[in-house]
Amino acid sequence: MTRTIANLVTVSALALSVALGAGAAQAKEFLLGSELPLTGSLARVGQGMHEGIAVAIDMANKSYAGKHSFKVQTIDDETSPAKGVAAVEKLAGDGVVAITGGYGSNIIGPASEAAQKAGLVYITSGGVSPELTQRGYPTFFRINNTDGYALAMIGLIQEMGAKKVSIVYLNKDATSSLAKQVNTALTAKGVTVGMHEFDGSTSDFKPLMNKVKLQDRPDVIAMVGYENDYVGILRASKVLKPQVKAMVGVWSLATAQMAKEFPDLMENVYGTSMLPYPVEFTQPEAVEFAATYKKLFNKDPDYLGQFGYVQTRLLIDAVVRADEAGTLGKGGLPDELRKTDANTLIGRVTFDKNGDNLNFTHRMGQHQGGKVVLVWPQDAANGKMNFPAVPW
Amino acid sequence: MTTTLLNRIVLIAALAIAYVGIPILFGGNAYVLGLIVAALTIAGVAVAWALLGNLGGMVSFGHAAFFGVGSYTSAVLAMKLGVPVFAAMLLGGVGAAVSSVAMLPALRLRGPYFALAILAYAHIFQILATEMTPVTGGAGGLLSIPRFPTVLGFDFGEKLGGYLIVLTIVVLAAFAYDAIRRSTWGLALKAMHDTEVATRVVGVPSTHLKAAMLVLSAFITGVVGAFNAHFISFLDPDYAFSSGWTVLPIAAAIFGGYRTVWGPVVGALAIYLVDQLLFKPILPHGHQMILGVLLCAMILFSPGGLMPALRRRTVKESRHAHA
Repeated sequence: MTRTIANLVTVSALALSVALGAGAAQAKEFLLGSELPLTGSLARVGQGMHEGIAVAIDMANKSYAGKHSFKVQTIDDETSPAKGVAAVEKLAGDGVVAITGGYGSNIIGPASEAAQKAGLVYITSGGVSPELTQRGYPTFFRINNTDGYALAMIGLIQEMGAKKVSIVYLNKDATSSLAKQVNTALTAKGVTVGMHEFDGSTSDFKPLMNKVKLQDRPDVIAMVGYENDYVGILRASKVLKPQVKAMVGVWSLATAQMAKEFPDLMENVYGTSMLPYPVEFTQPEAVEFAATYKKLFNKDPDYLGQFGYVQTRLLIDAVVRADEAGTLGKGGLPDELRKTDANTLIGRVTFDKNGDNLNFTHRMGQHQGGKVVLVWPQDAANGKMNFPAVPW
Repeated sequence: MTTTLLNRIVLIAALAIAYVGIPILFGGNAYVLGLIVAALTIAGVAVAWALLGNLGGMVSFGHAAFFGVGSYTSAVLAMKLGVPVFAAMLLGGVGAAVSSVAMLPALRLRGPYFALAILAYAHIFQILATEMTPVTGGAGGLLSIPRFPTVLGFDFGEKLGGYLIVLTIVVLAAFAYDAIRRSTWGLALKAMHDTEVATRVVGVPSTHLKAAMLVLSAFITGVVGAFNAHFISFLDPDYAFSSGWTVLPIAAAIFGGYRTVWGPVVGALAIYLVDQLLFKPILPHGHQMILGVLLCAMILFSPGGLMPALRRRTVKESRHAHA
């Protein structure tokens, strides 16, 4: 009897050790690549996305603890297309399973082409140019696009009931295409739209804003540019005081940083924002995201970090699924990523055959007393919009 | 052994390494080969810039204009008119040379005035590229520019093919530079540097010669720009006319020795590859600073650049050996 029990214990112990051994053999470390502008003119936005990627890696290592672990190898593309390509090639040579990152359509274009050549998935939230997805690369994915920004701006302006709108836009690819999209949509709805293009080297916006003030006399001024442009436009507007009901912008405007650095210019100004500031999260994933962000960087997350996190988390989940299906090493990751249907911090994400997320719609926030309050759409709003209201 | 013979042996050895050694060593390493291609692209512009400075006596701050015009001409011809890529690349050089004709009035200016005038021209061409949206794609630029084709089974669209093309462009540009320098034109241009009025008195057509150097320099830069457009497969005005296409070649030429033919090539390879392969891994976010310090040190300790410094050392060693 004793011998039988001893045998049973031995066999059980062996079975357990084999099972544990098998489990340990399945645990893998996955190396992701990240190509980002950490220096040069896009350094600030690149850094924001970089932080989001780091949060995604940290959270994935916790949620897959004991099963898998993840690392990211980051290369600075120095805001240069050629160095972006070189970075992707270096990452491919170092054996990364996929690439997350990229900022600026002009860098993402050639960099993602290099990834396509190397057979690597390239996922981003830093390039909204329609041409990127029109190429039809099976390895290219992005979670946001111009349409989502345009829908938010159009939706807010419509809710304001504006009859005349002046669109002041930078003559770059992403900004021009967004401005034209807003123009077409508003014109179709009977709104009178004035289009005013400016060059990236413009520092004095007073002549342009004077033209808007005297010639267009709009209800709303829509700004499509980047941080420096918004500051220039708002400074000029504060001097000229056009009789408008609202100043509306898009990306990089309704942020905590702008609220802190330019409190005199930002009050009542609108911009796209996924998050209010101070951040208010209710979903468990979002709460963990904010806590991890705070732990790693000692600050509240911003929208760049949020996008960087979402794209990387979706990639990690697809990597794990492809690995479990045994297709990761056989080029199965793009197909697995294309199967994604997830409710994320930026809303639902699915990918079409070109890798675009057609569900993407942004939200609009308004600077109110040093905070950013989400005001559009209604179901995402955490406050009421001050309307009509301008910074001066 | 005479210095000329030694120079020839060194040159033949360097070309053998470039055409045979590098493909064997790095043919399978797309990353390193890509960096060498980028360095040679800068080297091509650096040679053209040094040619204009040394032979034409003009300091240009606007070579990005020729680079941009060449790249756009070639890309548009290949994309919209279906011109074969190699022909389009040469026509890109022609386009840049034609654009330089618009700058001929600036030849009346000297020194910093010429430099500033040519810088202004560069900005004008950038604005034109941004505004001519139906042709150039405007601010959005051109994506998926046709790559180099496969010829006799060899794919020039791949990294190795691109390397061989840009290497050949740089080598031919340097040979052309050297040939002009040794010709009677070169003698006349050299004399012009000492006193332009005196050379005019003895019948040297100084304005024509300067114009010829400007056109040739623009042609070389345009071909390099065209190569880059088909290699990277992307263009937008900010990138094509970036001041980087002027500043980096100038830094490379000065580092390598802009008064020598091969100095700009050596300089471009040195600063780009050392920066990317050595300094960047050590200091990912501040590596350019080390490069700046190195450039300052070179200017202070060997104002003529790297090539003259190496030559002095070789001559010293040779004397010691003879002694």
